[in-house]
Amino acid sequence: MSDGGASQDGEGFPIADPHEHSSQRLDDLLTAVARGDERAYEAVYDHASGWVLGVARKVLRDPAQAEEVMQEVLLEVWRTASRFDPGVGSATSWVMTIAHRRAVDRVRSERSHSTRELRAATAVIDYDDVTEAVQASLDRERVQRCLSSLTELQRECVGLAYYSGYTYREVAGLLGVPPGTVKTRMRDGLIRLRDCLGVS
Amino acid sequence: MTESDDQELHTLAGPYVMDAVTQDERVNFVAHLANCAQCQEDVREMREATARLGVAAAVRPRVELKEQTIRAAFRTSQLGPAVSERTDLQLSARHRRRVGRLRPFAERARSVGMSARVALAAAALVVAAAIAFGLIANDAMQQLRHSQRQDHMIAAILNARDAVMLTAHVTTGGQATVVMSHREHGLVFTAHGLRRLPSSQAYELWLMGPAGDRPGGMLGPASDGTAGPAVVMGLGRSDMIGLTVEPASGSVRPSSVMVLLIRQHG
Repeated sequence: MSDGGASQDGEGFPIADPHEHSSQRLDDLLTAVARGDERAYEAVYDHASGWVLGVARKVLRDPAQAEEVMQEVLLEVWRTASRFDPGVGSATSWVMTIAHRRAVDRVRSERSHSTRELRAATAVIDYDDVTEAVQASLDRERVQRCLSSLTELQRECVGLAYYSGYTYREVAGLLGVPPGTVKTRMRDGLIRLRDCLGVS
Repeated sequence: MTESDDQELHTLAGPYVMDAVTQDERVNFVAHLANCAQCQEDVREMREATARLGVAAAVRPRVELKEQTIRAAFRTSQLGPAVSERTDLQLSARHRRRVGRLRPFAERARSVGMSARVALAAAALVVAAAIAFGLIANDAMQQLRHSQRQDHMIAAILNARDAVMLTAHVTTGGQATVVMSHREHGLVFTAHGLRRLPSSQAYELWLMGPAGDRPGGMLGPASDGTAGPAVVMGLGRSDMIGLTVEPASGSVRPSSVMVLLIRQHG
């Protein structure tokens, strides 16, 4: 783990280390968790709980609900660790996939009974927030730099979907762009992001 | 499925990776994924990228959450690999290669001289046990949700504008503290210095008033004489709060003398 610098709360929090050995380590830890290794699970918690809480907060914007989602995700990690397959992707990506899915499921059930226009306005403002907050560390800077290498439309599409939990059709409505365009911009944006971040 | 439908599904890879699809679209795309090697590769790579977006938003969780989460996890049974293999098999053709992992069990069975039928029966048992564990896991999830809900209720009561705190002596030893709020229709109970009880007995809380006597919950055993915080909801304005010693399994009505009785004034 590298020293992550300050988060938007002004607390230091180590975020993902792009170095191979660290992500390799999380892979190994998760494999150990699948065998019921409790110490390995504590280490996975230390590694990943902040990531999971972070993404849950972005999507849910409610600290209490984000904590609940974080706990549920970490419990799910313990329970289903045997399903993690290093051949299919990294442990980081496996954990974050579970985290994002849960946060999005939760925010959609909340949204189904709240004012859409109001949420839409908040989402756009908060997205700018997010890109600001991303600057806190070297890794964050890298993500920020890569995000800014996207076209404006790609960045908006990725931000509204990933950080705000909107479907591509909702994003299309918010931006006044055809859904087909949003789909391809999301894909193009993510591929450009992948190339820029050097993850594969 | 026509070629253009296929093409249509192909472009869902980006939205799918960011969970920006509806449930129906998700199901359709997963089915498509099973037979589209290019999509599998795209999804894998894009997931590494979105994971970085998530990680970049990391914040430090409150320290208390660690203990709570880890304890809930260790009470939860894990999914055995055999079950996930079966599920994957049903879900997606590309995971068929994983069946290889099931083989060692059959080999072990042969090496210890089990007949094929016994080995099969044993395998079925493993699956059944794993399914039962799954149910237990749901239980632990329920417990976690319960403790989260309880945390929220405690916070709501303690922060209520009309919250009142009372302390009182327990006649058999110890002191109880109650914070109650009528706006929240509830109270939070804690105690320390309580007399230790044999394992066959436990302290039980009661609400007693015009609506009758209602059990307010059992207090967990504590070797150091502390109890709570316990939340009791459904508090009425003229209810009295009581504590008795009951059989460990609890009673529906108080069966012994109150060791604590708090009457509200005003």
